[in-house]
Amino acid sequence: MANESASGITRSVGHGGSKELVPFGATEMRLTARQWLATLAIVLAILLAVPPIWENVERFDTGADYRIPYALSRDYWLYARWVKRAAVPGKVVVLGDSVVWGEYVQPDGAWPIFLTRESAGSPQFVNCGVNGLFPLALEGMVRHYAKLPAGQKVLLQCNLLWLTSPEADLSSAKEEHFNHSRLVPQFSPRLACYRADANEKLTAEIQNRVGFLQWTSHLQNAYFDQKSIPNWTLADDGGDPPHYPNARRNPLAQITLTVPTAPRDDPQRGPASARHKPWSTTGVGSTRFDWVPLATSQQWAAFQRVVRLLRERGNDVFVVLGPFNEHIMAPENRAPYQVIHDGVAAWLAAESIPHSVPEPLPSELYADASHPLTAGYELMAQRTLADPAFRRWLGQPSEK
Amino acid sequence: MLFHTWPFAIFLLIVLPVFFALQRTRLWLAWLLVASYFFYGWWNPYYLLLVVYSTLLDYALVAFMDHCPRVGTSGESGSRFALRGLEDKLLKTAFAGAAVGALGILAAAVWGPATLRPTLIGAEVLMLLMALGALFGSRKIWLLVSLVNNLALLVFFKYAGFVVGSLNELFPRLHLTDPATLMPFGFEYLLPVGISFFTFQSLSYTIDFYFGNVHRERSLLRFATFVCFFPQLMAGPIERARHLLPQFNKFPAFRLQNLTDGASLLLVGLFKKLALANYLSLYVERVYDHPETSSAAALVLGTVVFGWQIYFDFSGYTDMARGLARMMGFQLVLNFNNPYLAASLGEFWTRWHIGLSSWFRDYVYIPLGGNRLGSWMTYRNLLITFLISGVWHGSKWTFLIWGALHGIGVIVMREMERSSFYRERVPRLLKQTAVFAFVSFTWIFFRADSLADANLIIRRIATAGWGSANLPVLMVALVAAVWGYAFLYESRFRDLLKTSGVRVSLAVMMVLYLCLCASGGGAFIYFQF
Repeated sequence: MANESASGITRSVGHGGSKELVPFGATEMRLTARQWLATLAIVLAILLAVPPIWENVERFDTGADYRIPYALSRDYWLYARWVKRAAVPGKVVVLGDSVVWGEYVQPDGAWPIFLTRESAGSPQFVNCGVNGLFPLALEGMVRHYAKLPAGQKVLLQCNLLWLTSPEADLSSAKEEHFNHSRLVPQFSPRLACYRADANEKLTAEIQNRVGFLQWTSHLQNAYFDQKSIPNWTLADDGGDPPHYPNARRNPLAQITLTVPTAPRDDPQRGPASARHKPWSTTGVGSTRFDWVPLATSQQWAAFQRVVRLLRERGNDVFVVLGPFNEHIMAPENRAPYQVIHDGVAAWLAAESIPHSVPEPLPSELYADASHPLTAGYELMAQRTLADPAFRRWLGQPSEK
Repeated sequence: MLFHTWPFAIFLLIVLPVFFALQRTRLWLAWLLVASYFFYGWWNPYYLLLVVYSTLLDYALVAFMDHCPRVGTSGESGSRFALRGLEDKLLKTAFAGAAVGALGILAAAVWGPATLRPTLIGAEVLMLLMALGALFGSRKIWLLVSLVNNLALLVFFKYAGFVVGSLNELFPRLHLTDPATLMPFGFEYLLPVGISFFTFQSLSYTIDFYFGNVHRERSLLRFATFVCFFPQLMAGPIERARHLLPQFNKFPAFRLQNLTDGASLLLVGLFKKLALANYLSLYVERVYDHPETSSAAALVLGTVVFGWQIYFDFSGYTDMARGLARMMGFQLVLNFNNPYLAASLGEFWTRWHIGLSSWFRDYVYIPLGGNRLGSWMTYRNLLITFLISGVWHGSKWTFLIWGALHGIGVIVMREMERSSFYRERVPRLLKQTAVFAFVSFTWIFFRADSLADANLIIRRIATAGWGSANLPVLMVALVAAVWGYAFLYESRFRDLLKTSGVRVSLAVMMVLYLCLCASGGGAFIYFQF
């Protein structure tokens, strides 16, 4: 018995053949090669067909002042769809983080909207900012989701907020948890503070490349409160004692085939909100930032890669540097900031990238270190359009 | 490395093609071994040394045993104190080595660092036993060395912390040393993944060889691959040497059916783990992490759901393990056979964790006397076996009670089955329901964090308000579908499940569900054993 050869262990010659010494299992899910081929063919067809069909079937209402709702900031499939819609001749895609998106303002109070207004609608500036989209994440977004056609005009805002500390720069060695982790470089360049395991990183890489998985993520974001369907069925309402309203609900009924929109009047944003006020009235005093030099900054390196990637794709890029709230800085903090600020401007000039370096806005028009208030965005738009370099880039004559 | 992760997928994409490419060379087995060591080392490269040590020692012990004379089943002849070892060159060398080793270890224990002393004392015991085994040419002593070594490893890593902690709590003046401080060279004190499995697998070899049930494996490469074959290294199924070792004698003939069968098992296993077990675990955690606020209904259903969770988790892992092995042409034993359809507890244990239950049957229950010594001794043997089985699962009182309950349950059911009324009149469905209910009850002890929690859960089931369980309809539907499939499988309508339409439809649904809904999921429950 001990010297049985391997072929003597099992005598099975096929399904319904002679009896096996080692049973297959307690299941009849024993596919033949042909059945496997059929399965794979059907699955592949579904995986390839569903996302584009869904795009045509699902209602996605956008208007002139549309921006990706805050709750859908991690719905990258939807973002790709939005960018595809925005990337047409006659429109300028405005990329960036919450400064572009408009953290403290209503959708119609964001910078791209004022740019459109100030330019009398020609061209139209489309708000493709995403809340919390720091440069390392923006790189992933541009690489996988914002695939703009050659010739597309892209306005990119460079926010120096991300260099204000090693933590913000993601260059600290201490472990950090941050938003949009799926978008940052998973393996190279290595981020010491990003401690996801190999499986999480590989999952992110694969999700960013497989359309069906992106679409699945869209379903979760748009219809299931950013949860997987199983997790959604078990979600509680946050009450005490908790209730579980989704336990008896039909998950399919959640899919309304209409992309959710943001609330019309977001109480957290806009001139009527308690947050919409100058930074100096919030109790925040002068701040001393722990500036990260350009040479070692992960975020700055990522921003450079974003610009290069856009240009390699034939996009027509214009960069607006800041304007950072210099009023918030402690006086001794200005020197390192200026070095960084001038360094960025110098790089843009050296790379012959059309750019604008606007003056800081008046102090009272900032909500915090980098976000303007509504009036601040309006002024920012006016100044941008007044910049001869910007007008040249737009193909418009300079103002006299 | 977990089977349901991308690193493993990459690992497999490399290992499989190279394995098949090496089929006409002698390197395929070495490749399997390298891959298996890499697989284990991915979890913790230092603990790979433990696997290597255990492998080398048992390989050597059987070699020494083979040089000892054997007469009859007991393996000994003549005076038990005859110095038979001195008649054999290998044993003489082994004696010399062991004697020198024992002296060296003694010196190190006396003059070396105090933290190493307990480890060295353990090594000294082994060395002395080996010296005795070599000197007397005693197969029994060599077997004892293997038992002591493997069980000592298990006890140290799995139970020492619990025992020391419990004793220190009961007798504060004892101040027993924390086992973590005894780790040599500052290694971290962890529970090595799979230790309960590879030690038992290796032990089965030495025991079977002692009793003449298996030939000595002369190839260290083959033996090492048997001990740490990566599909079943972490959580079984526990294989016997006489079943798995011969399969490594030559490269398995390539058959397309092996690939398709293996892929089928892999898919079923993935679905069970990712779609079912992980989902159910969310509900169970919600209930069992807060038993004091969960309603009676939630606790009852949480317990039942846990029974399904652990089944899907463990059988899913086993399916994946068997599927991976089968893709390479190797057959691993069936480990789960629709256990919740069992009509008796005895039958349950022939369907649940078959590899482990048969191990305990063959190496504990039968050597104790089995059912050959009358009813009372049979029941004693059953109880002891189930108690040990409970303890095997972990170092908590709750596991001991779980084992005891099953032992008592098996005994009671054996008595009930003596009655012809019970055997012939009670419907099978009723028996199945009773077994399922009993097994579910015992899961309370298996899952609860502590004895106090288990008591609280039982008390609350009996006294708390029924309330709402908030069990998701989707969860009920999934479990019902699987249960329905199992019933169909064991019914006369089984052939329906073999049709292409059913197979392909189910496979497509499983793949799509995995893509749509499956969460990443953590480690397998049985990895902690």
